[in-house]
Amino acid sequence: MAGRKKIVPPGEAPRVIDQGSVWILVAAPSIWAAHFLLSYWVAAIWCAKLGRGTPLAEPRWIIAGLGVLCIAAIVGLAALAIRRYGGVFVIFEEITESSERARDRFVGHVALLLCVLSAAAIVFTVIPGMVLGQC
Amino acid sequence: MTEEIDLSKLPPAEPYDKARDEAQRARLMKVWETPTGWRRISAVNNSSVGKWYLLTSFAFFTFAGFLALLIRAQLAVPNNDLLSQSLYNQLFTLHGTAMMFLFAVPIFEAVAILILPEILGARDLPFPRLSAFGYWCFLIGGIFVCGSVFFGVAPDGGWFMYAPLSSNPDYSGLGADIWLLGLSFIEVSSIAAAVELIVGVLKSRPPGMRLNLIPLYCWYVLVVAGMILFAFPPLIAGDLLLEMERAFDWAFFDPDRGGDPLLWQHLFWIFGHPEVYIIFLPSIALIATILPTFAGRPMVGHSWIVLSAVGVAFLSFGLWVHHMFTTGLPEISLSFFSAASEAVAVPTGIQIFCFIATMLVSKVRRSVPMLFAGGALAIFVFGGLTGVMVALVPFDWQAHDSYFVVAHLHYTLIGGMLFPLFAGVHYWYPFVTQKRMSDRLGRWSFWLMFGGFNLAFLPMHWTGVMGMPRRVWTYDVTDGWAVLNMVSTIGAFIFAAGFVVLAVNVLWPRGKAPLVERNLWNAGTMEWSAEVPDKPWGVRSIPYIHTRYPLWEQKELLGEMDRGEWFLPDAEEGKRELIITDILDARPLYVQRVGGPSYLTIGAAFCLGAVFILATFHLWTLTLLFGAGFVGFTLWWLWTGTSEIPEKPEKPAGRGLVLPTYAQGNSSPGWWAVFITMTGDMTAFMGLVFSYFFYWTALPDFLPGAAKLPGFGWLLLGLALLLAGWVTALAARERLAGGSTGQAMGLLVGGVPLAALGIGAWCWAAWSAGLDPTETSFDATVWVLILWLGLHLLLDAVMRLYVAARIWRGRCTPRYRADCVNLTLFTHFLALTAVVTFALLALFPMLMGGM
Repeated sequence: MAGRKKIVPPGEAPRVIDQGSVWILVAAPSIWAAHFLLSYWVAAIWCAKLGRGTPLAEPRWIIAGLGVLCIAAIVGLAALAIRRYGGVFVIFEEITESSERARDRFVGHVALLLCVLSAAAIVFTVIPGMVLGQC
Repeated sequence: MTEEIDLSKLPPAEPYDKARDEAQRARLMKVWETPTGWRRISAVNNSSVGKWYLLTSFAFFTFAGFLALLIRAQLAVPNNDLLSQSLYNQLFTLHGTAMMFLFAVPIFEAVAILILPEILGARDLPFPRLSAFGYWCFLIGGIFVCGSVFFGVAPDGGWFMYAPLSSNPDYSGLGADIWLLGLSFIEVSSIAAAVELIVGVLKSRPPGMRLNLIPLYCWYVLVVAGMILFAFPPLIAGDLLLEMERAFDWAFFDPDRGGDPLLWQHLFWIFGHPEVYIIFLPSIALIATILPTFAGRPMVGHSWIVLSAVGVAFLSFGLWVHHMFTTGLPEISLSFFSAASEAVAVPTGIQIFCFIATMLVSKVRRSVPMLFAGGALAIFVFGGLTGVMVALVPFDWQAHDSYFVVAHLHYTLIGGMLFPLFAGVHYWYPFVTQKRMSDRLGRWSFWLMFGGFNLAFLPMHWTGVMGMPRRVWTYDVTDGWAVLNMVSTIGAFIFAAGFVVLAVNVLWPRGKAPLVERNLWNAGTMEWSAEVPDKPWGVRSIPYIHTRYPLWEQKELLGEMDRGEWFLPDAEEGKRELIITDILDARPLYVQRVGGPSYLTIGAAFCLGAVFILATFHLWTLTLLFGAGFVGFTLWWLWTGTSEIPEKPEKPAGRGLVLPTYAQGNSSPGWWAVFITMTGDMTAFMGLVFSYFFYWTALPDFLPGAAKLPGFGWLLLGLALLLAGWVTALAARERLAGGSTGQAMGLLVGGVPLAALGIGAWCWAAWSAGLDPTETSFDATVWVLILWLGLHLLLDAVMRLYVAARIWRGRCTPRYRADCVNLTLFTHFLALTAVVTFALLALFPMLMGGM
């Protein structure tokens, strides 16, 4: 920011993004949201422009292909959450230590859980695309 | 950059000195004092505003509940004529509207304003006057909407106001306008509260409270406030379209002119479904806070609850079409939403399992709050299961718009929202009043409400399956619904009796009753650190927090706080001060000074309320006058209470910590508030963009021929001028930072005519192409996009003149220039809006025409 001159409070820099910290919490569900909206739009436009009863062959593959891509991206995020943040998949988490490392591990842990949830939700979205054959 | 501070290695506090302690307390008391007598209404302290908010929400709840009893009385017997059909329509519409908009959402804000700062160990929220403004907006708007029923003009189109019933003035009278404008006004207060709460959780945490230590309640508040920011604006966009059609006959929802009533359903439910979770999550948050106290141990699966809150927040935006399963959308579209509706049960269930696990691994103390919490879980799980049923498309086709849905939604809302809230009322009553409620009356009210509720709503599953439609005014004895309806009515009155017992228990004067002891439930969260009797300052000194349950795990904390051994124990300069910390690790960044009692917020809310109310009656001159009044009051408020240049650049905050007294850019809460508000604003704009693409998808000939398209050259010229205006703001910020105040003022003011010419060029482009908003949906959409940008440019002009005036008067200087930095942030969003609008008006039609 342009506003930094003489008085520098301790640790003022916009660390939210640069230290790669909280964005990872919303990244996986955002990928779900993007996949969901794209699938909806592709199918809606396809069916609106081509009419009822049109076979869904192409949209199905677009939806499934996008799903695979998105899940791959989420797997990447999960790997990042594990490697960089030290996220672990445990039920009884006790990451209550007051340190930067503990904060990172907490974020990594929650991000990992969100990756699992988002990937499952994407699979939920792909299923109807596989089941329904026409508009 | 200075050295990182390690909060765990601060120098020890000075030895206790009684005289110093008393002097500090006296100064703090004077600064944080709440005005007395009739001046009390000028208070902005979170404890006052929160209490008013809470009582007002409950007043609207009582009102809406009374309407429900009238509805049940009408349905008690077949062919009843207790109420006329017209009045009945008004009653159920107002019941739903008031419960959702005037109770369920505001009560979240009320509770959060009341307890959030205390849970965070903070003195107040970062924008106390904004909370007060939001409250007054809510009060005025709520009275306006509810009062309409006494004049027989209450809205009568159902709480979701479907077009074309609501868009055609022949079918719906003044009531629809009251609904649209009254609720738009209340949405303003919700968004104000959302901004306040997000910044509160992100920036006003006590030093040391890192992300992994934030209490669950605060996570929920953050998530829900974020949801409000993305859910309410599409409805504001929808309200704008619907009111333009009603007031000026613009063609948005009329199929004869290329409009589509389904667009309203989309915009409404993009708001409406997340809204259900906006209501549910904060109440579940209350259980998540109460449960550890009575279990005597931390919540099992703390991070799993954070996961489910964030997960639900996202998934809830993918459910809106499940309210539209019977509108004839393609089955593939329906199944996406059906799948997401099933998926959302996963994170919702995780929270419930965490609660059950916490109860299983501990010995839960019996208490009235836990009674309500247990009842809540039982009812909610039942409602959740019927939710999974109606999320299935074929089942929904059968149950849609029947009493089955009425039963389902009341089970989820009363189980998921009302009972947890009542648990919270019993739990936090001693925190607010320092007195105890009667346990005996508490148990009575619980069992009356629990029994009455099930008696009223369980039979509705059957009446629904037997074919009774929602909103039906009366029915015939041959329909076979008479007995079940009578049972429901009896249940409703028993439920109401339980609420009366609860209300008596809350409002009973307890002037002479003894004060409670401090932290009477032996809770672990910070709000129970409050001294008894309570002090207006929130906390005596702002503590360093390094645990999740500080009152359990930091044994010395209370004594240290009371002796003023932590931060900001004094108010030497006579100012209300808070500590602003960073988002990740809550390291102290600077000392923020906040405004004290003020009438300006009331004036601003009154004028804005008058604008919306007068617009309902199409009294345009008066509307404009009060609009000017609103701008005047707001500027006065900003001029006198924000971004004040401190008398010294930094001050000691205690324990050897020296903090700046001014911040700009992204370390200041103001910057974040602008950023968050504008994110909401962009979401509303996205609602308009969605409308454009919706028409394009649904209508084969939405885009007109080339002759009817706005001229490309004019649009391009307009865009160039608008972007030039944006550049002047950037340059002004740089010149000001460089010390050239004169140039900065010139650039700011010079940007105003550039913007005016730019939007003028766009108006000319639309006008010369013969676009008439009353003719087709394309014309109306183009004009509404231009109108949207125009309104923002008007705001931009006011802000530029304001900042220029601040520079001129020496209130915004090269060193202290937060106002100018915030204005630039606003113009970034404006530039983005202009570019997207240009793409919709010029590029997309060209692209599609060429294909």
